[in-house]
Amino acid sequence: MNAPAPNSQSLSTIGSVMVIGGGVAGVQTALDLSDLGFKVYLVEKSGAIGGVMARLDKTFPTNDCSLCILAPKLVEAGRDANIAILTKSELLSLEGEPGRFTARIKKQPRYIDEEVCTGCGQCTLYCLKQIGDDYNENLCRTAAAHIDYSQAVPTSYHIDPKSCLRLNYETCGLCAVACRAGAIRFDDTEEIVDVPVGAVVLAPGFGRVSEEVLRTYGWGKFDDVLTAFEHERLMCASGPTGGEIVRPSDEKHPKKIAFLQCIGSRDETCGNNYCSSVCCMYAIKQASLAREHDPDAEITLFYMDVRTHGKGFDAARERAIAENNFRVVYARPPRVEDVFDGGLLLTWVDEAGKHQYEKFDLVVLSQGLEAPEDADKLAQAASVDLNHYQFAATDSYAPLETSRPGVYVIGAFQGPKDIPDSVTQAGGVAGICSGVLAQARNSETVAATFPVERDIEGEEPRVGVFVCHCGINIGGVVNVPDVRDYAKTLPNVVYTTDNLYSCSQDTQKHLVEIIKEHKLNRLVVSACTPRTHEPLFQATMREAGLNRSLFEMANIRDQCSWVHMHEKEAATEKAKDLVRMAVAKACLLTPLEEQELPVTPSALVLGGGLAGMTAALTIADQGYECTLVEREKKLGGRTLLLSKDRFGNVPGEAVKKLSDRVKVHEKITVLTEAELDTISGYVGNFTSTVAGPKGNTVINHGVVILATGGKPYVPRKYGYGDSSLVLTQIDLEKRLERKKPLPNNCRQIVMIQCVGSRGDDLSYCSRVCCGQAVKNALRIKELSPETQVTILYRDMRTYGFMEDDYRKAREKGVLFTRYTPERPPEVTVGKDSRNKPIVTSYDAILGEEVERKADLLILSTGIEADDPTALAKLLKVPITADKFYLEAHVKLRPVDLAVDGVFVCGLAHSPKSIEETIAQAQAAGGRACQPLSHGRITPEPIVSSVDPEKCIGCGACEKFCPYKAIQIYKEGKIRKAGTISASCKGCGVCAARCPTLAIDMGRFTYDSIMAQVRAFNPQGEENVS
Amino acid sequence: MSAEYNPHILGFLCNWCCYTAADSAGVGRYQYPPNLRVIRIMCTGRLDPSFPLEGLANGADGIFVGGCHPGECHYQDGNYHALVSASLVHEMLEKIGISKERFLIDWASAAEGPNFVKIITAFTQRVAELGPLGKAEGKSPEEIRSQLAQAAEAARSRKIRIGLINASREMMKKRDFSRTTISSMVQEKCAKALGELV
Ligand code: FES
Repeated sequence: MNAPAPNSQSLSTIGSVMVIGGGVAGVQTALDLSDLGFKVYLVEKSGAIGGVMARLDKTFPTNDCSLCILAPKLVEAGRDANIAILTKSELLSLEGEPGRFTARIKKQPRYIDEEVCTGCGQCTLYCLKQIGDDYNENLCRTAAAHIDYSQAVPTSYHIDPKSCLRLNYETCGLCAVACRAGAIRFDDTEEIVDVPVGAVVLAPGFGRVSEEVLRTYGWGKFDDVLTAFEHERLMCASGPTGGEIVRPSDEKHPKKIAFLQCIGSRDETCGNNYCSSVCCMYAIKQASLAREHDPDAEITLFYMDVRTHGKGFDAARERAIAENNFRVVYARPPRVEDVFDGGLLLTWVDEAGKHQYEKFDLVVLSQGLEAPEDADKLAQAASVDLNHYQFAATDSYAPLETSRPGVYVIGAFQGPKDIPDSVTQAGGVAGICSGVLAQARNSETVAATFPVERDIEGEEPRVGVFVCHCGINIGGVVNVPDVRDYAKTLPNVVYTTDNLYSCSQDTQKHLVEIIKEHKLNRLVVSACTPRTHEPLFQATMREAGLNRSLFEMANIRDQCSWVHMHEKEAATEKAKDLVRMAVAKACLLTPLEEQELPVTPSALVLGGGLAGMTAALTIADQGYECTLVEREKKLGGRTLLLSKDRFGNVPGEAVKKLSDRVKVHEKITVLTEAELDTISGYVGNFTSTVAGPKGNTVINHGVVILATGGKPYVPRKYGYGDSSLVLTQIDLEKRLERKKPLPNNCRQIVMIQCVGSRGDDLSYCSRVCCGQAVKNALRIKELSPETQVTILYRDMRTYGFMEDDYRKAREKGVLFTRYTPERPPEVTVGKDSRNKPIVTSYDAILGEEVERKADLLILSTGIEADDPTALAKLLKVPITADKFYLEAHVKLRPVDLAVDGVFVCGLAHSPKSIEETIAQAQAAGGRACQPLSHGRITPEPIVSSVDPEKCIGCGACEKFCPYKAIQIYKEGKIRKAGTISASCKGCGVCAARCPTLAIDMGRFTYDSIMAQVRAFNPQGEENVS
Repeated sequence: MSAEYNPHILGFLCNWCCYTAADSAGVGRYQYPPNLRVIRIMCTGRLDPSFPLEGLANGADGIFVGGCHPGECHYQDGNYHALVSASLVHEMLEKIGISKERFLIDWASAAEGPNFVKIITAFTQRVAELGPLGKAEGKSPEEIRSQLAQAAEAARSRKIRIGLINASREMMKKRDFSRTTISSMVQEKCAKALGELV
């Protein structure tokens, strides 16, 4: 590793960032920062990046294959010239100040030279020393000379110094003999390097629940008690059992499986009172996959509360439970026992207070997320504070900032969270760093270069076909070898192979070699969908010196193996047809010239609430102009409806600070009482008109951020509006600020959760209402400890550190009573304020209806989106059935919309807390600046072209082009059409309407589509017309 | 009764909505019959009227074109122009004596995986009922193919295409995008050229 020596102008800001931790959060930040023009040092303590996400089989709620969506990112990071990956490394100390730090890194030896290793794996084959395979949760063995997992980046092996025979006993050394590349370095030593960086991002992820806690549930004592991580590996095709879920004790398929929740979470006894936020949903995922593996198994999930509060999670959970026939039990079995005749015994107390017991074949422990094991050490090295659970201490209004300026935190170390939230924070921190280091943008980076493209003019098509197993995603249904062999028989195909994961870095490397070796001039990958993976393979082609347009994909996963899971033969036939069609098209592809379009370096932000203001500031701080449009007279939005946050701060004050900054920022123009009227264009070049009190303003901008917010749902039942004693939580927030907030002699306040939510008027969970109820209950208890507060709830969703409030509320005597949607509470109210509302609800423990006379009845109601339909139509972006904007990818592109250059944040995306809104707005602000910082975009060259010979100058194309991208010009007296490539978006309307077929589309030519049609012919005979 | 016919179905799906819907159906593991083969196009507006006819001539028993919902085309009006092409295809099928139900144009948004599955399942079912191309029509495969090839040739002819341009033009002017209006405009504008097609 050669870190650049501090240069002469070492007093200026340094344009590089150190990211500690190579999980999905760290990798995403690295990619975003590199894209924004900063050099990144990605420091990872293990031998490869990827983190926990690389160990997951699937991800909720879509059950996407985890590695399939992660691998392209890892590969991208691996080959990015501006990302230096330092493996087996850790931070020792951090000196200096924001903009000018020196980070001291200790790099452990790998004993195999990363630059020389080809990843062939011979060393592992010859290695005599077996060790536990950490990647597979030690459920199987690997060798001392090993690679962490087969798709690992960097694609280089390393030697475990603790067990290597040669390093410890001076014997063996076989690997050095076996390694043909000569990459083994037994004399490798530890290195200490000082790296100058402008900012540091901590993304070390989370730690594991201690074995002591696991042991109380029989783990380590009984073979068939597994942690969720172990279970995840068993489910995985690349796992120790090749994707078979079997009991470790007898290798039989378990017929009765129990999932126990909250292991090491929400548990004072082990010191972790917080909720880990992700386990409820991942258990549903694991259970669904267990069901996929065995249609007859009995699957039971033990929950305290079902906390599926994420966007679309409730719907996914309900569907999973209904379709898979799961049993859900609200209970917490305290331990696992073995019984005489085999099996694992669980005992629990049900909701009615009765003791229950039952035997299971397999018990899966849904373990929580702890602070990383070495949190202390890291905090010391970076000089940042930790909270009482050893996570990084942060503030709600600056969620990504640690106690030390210039040092930031993202991902699970900031608090337990799922992948989308981690990725969001990754985008946010990139935006912040890009602002803080704006003046040093592009100062440490090198521009990406590709080899000169090979001229294939005059060559016969030489097609290579790569068929992907995608673990078992494809291979479990489609007979991949069969498809591969079939491809070999197709005309012009000169090379075929199959891969376990085509998208992994080693496969990419291999691809480059094969393209060169076999002189391939067309590439067909038959795997997943081109919508997500085409860019990856195209980049690889460019590295191999081929034009990226010579590429075609056959979608045999999303549109084949996944949708015909029970029809293996038919799916295999379909895959062959799709490959045949793709090859036919590929033969007719021609190289296309790349185009570059200028970008208007400014942004338009719609909505001046917390999200919009934060996003605007993030953009403006990065040095780009920004127009902020707000419908109301004043900036601030709905945050102002909250009078206190859970720490007793006034959110309005923070909002005020923000709006003060917004108003004076020289790069921000604020338009209030204004609304978007029209918008046209595309990423880099939008033109909008904003209607305001002083008429219309026309704005040219490169990107748009939708921060249009949401609004409180107004309940229509429980006497709301009839009685002044029935309030919503929002009403209560205001009332609590009164001089005399509570009624005289206030005995009892009742709160009802989920009013209008979760299947009522709003189908979803609004995520924040449980926390708000608990917060307000505590505020009431503070004002009047003798008032009885009762909360009627379905599931208390006080996720993360909010669980502390929940516990505190119980300690303070707040009563929590669960109700079911089948038996909701009933309320009778009188007309005037002397008639107190009577709330009746069923109490499971008492087994009867309980009546409560409430001095105040508080309804916890959700958040509705501000109807986005009109705006979504204008922008052509999709919305969900719940009327929130639909992000481009739920997991990995949480703030991007499907249309390039359009981003979303805040309540317009989904209900969320203040802290989450800020991080998401920062992410939108960071992502939005990527095209702006490049100054240009290079769209896909799929534009139209006109054959002047055939063109008769009729002008139909000009008339119908939605982008004015094709125009008639005169050549002497003759009229001809010509394409303006920069404006063309490649829709093809002109081609379909051209009377003489003079117009054709790049990559979607008439002939290539016809070739697909002919190759489709199931009889195999081509009907050439 | 013999086992139900397993039809061959060719689809043209627009990249932004229907193709995405098909992908999301996969992500959600919604199952549907394995009869469909998909050709991805950026927009249904790319659909040359000759493509579906060629598809049927090349062994398809049914053709499905899937795009964005009206008003939601990623390129504004592409799917309306596709409706113009589709009307011509329907018109020609009728002329040849092929059931119009063998050609379907419908919409599913990016978020509508289940809707895509519903559409394609129903379409497959319907085409299965019709049986192999020619059966419901009472024609020999050879005859039908040569007629389809002729129709495709006509769809590439200048005369027909100018008729389509005029229909598209009028549609855009009136901004009336209902299927019935579009189809009567196509009938009117292409009447003469269609008349020449035996
Ligand atoms: S992009 Fe889907 S129909 Fe035009």
